[in-house]
Amino acid sequence: MSSALWIAVFASAFGTLLIRVVPFLWMQRRLNSAAGLNAMPQWLTVLGPLMIAAVLGVSIMPVNPGPASWLATVAGLLATLLVWRRVHSLGWPVAAGVAIFGVVVLACGVILPG
Amino acid sequence: MNQPADHLIPAHHSPVRSALQGVREAIPLLGGYVPVALSFGLVATQAGFTTWEAVAISALIYAGASQFLFVGMIAAGAPLWLVVTMTLLINIRHVVYGPNLAALLPRSRHWPWLMHGLTDQVFALALTRLPQLPEVKRFGWFLGASLFAWGAWIIGTAVGATAGEAVTARWPLLGEVMPFALPALFLTMVAPRFTDKRWALAMLTTIIAALMLTLYGLSNVAIPLAAALGALCFYSIRFTTRSRAL
Repeated sequence: MSSALWIAVFASAFGTLLIRVVPFLWMQRRLNSAAGLNAMPQWLTVLGPLMIAAVLGVSIMPVNPGPASWLATVAGLLATLLVWRRVHSLGWPVAAGVAIFGVVVLACGVILPG
Repeated sequence: MNQPADHLIPAHHSPVRSALQGVREAIPLLGGYVPVALSFGLVATQAGFTTWEAVAISALIYAGASQFLFVGMIAAGAPLWLVVTMTLLINIRHVVYGPNLAALLPRSRHWPWLMHGLTDQVFALALTRLPQLPEVKRFGWFLGASLFAWGAWIIGTAVGATAGEAVTARWPLLGEVMPFALPALFLTMVAPRFTDKRWALAMLTTIIAALMLTLYGLSNVAIPLAAALGALCFYSIRFTTRSRAL
């Protein structure tokens, strides 16, 4: 890799770090001011959970989209939700979702090979 | 994982234990990280980068989509200023992550380098788990979870760059099944919000919008656009609660 390319890597890395760290430190400073927690804009507390929902929407897209993978996605999400309703934790619902997703993908591969 | 006991301040608090708890709770992220990191390592070497260069890009930039764009544009011969600009534009969505976590994390001189680990997935996990942990455990937890995810990303890239083709040929389902850990994990994070009608509608709008944008090949802008749409929905629709006569 040429030195110009390394500079591009470092510039991208440093810029990305600034994007992550500057707003965090700015908000921590605001929160420690006299205004305290009131310094946190309400829209920001709404946007946080919605960003997670957006990441969920993006990640729902299967790696190899097709009827089998979409069916497996729906089954996996349902399994995740059902286990979550029972245990209200993160680990088991994820394990159950991945297991059901895998089983449906494999089953569809057996029923509809190729 | 999120038992009510988490709210209690432990009598014998250990930073190492908190970090290990963070590591344990970040394990589901591997399902999404490892296949994508393997793919990145493979794509980077196919684009002419060496294994060490691919690993350096993963360690330094550490942002999935923008890394693929970076090596793709370099391979296509794009000018370097445009490569850097596009990489930063894709990562601009991260500006809202830090402020959301600021109230949950203690002040520390280590944040300038620790925030390097604030990816989409780590943010989602931290925003869900930190409020459930006692304050003394939060720094260690974030350290453990973010360093573990970063390490997995780097190792995944190295494996992908050196043996990506062999791994995907031997375990073809790895790349197809494991990534489902991510939507499953995020579903468990958003599910508690569905008890409130206003939140449920905003969340549903966001999820569907993000999925649609991704289906139409706009995954790079899907997260901020869909979240903005969900926020618009949240602020424009209010449900009136009917008071019941006794």
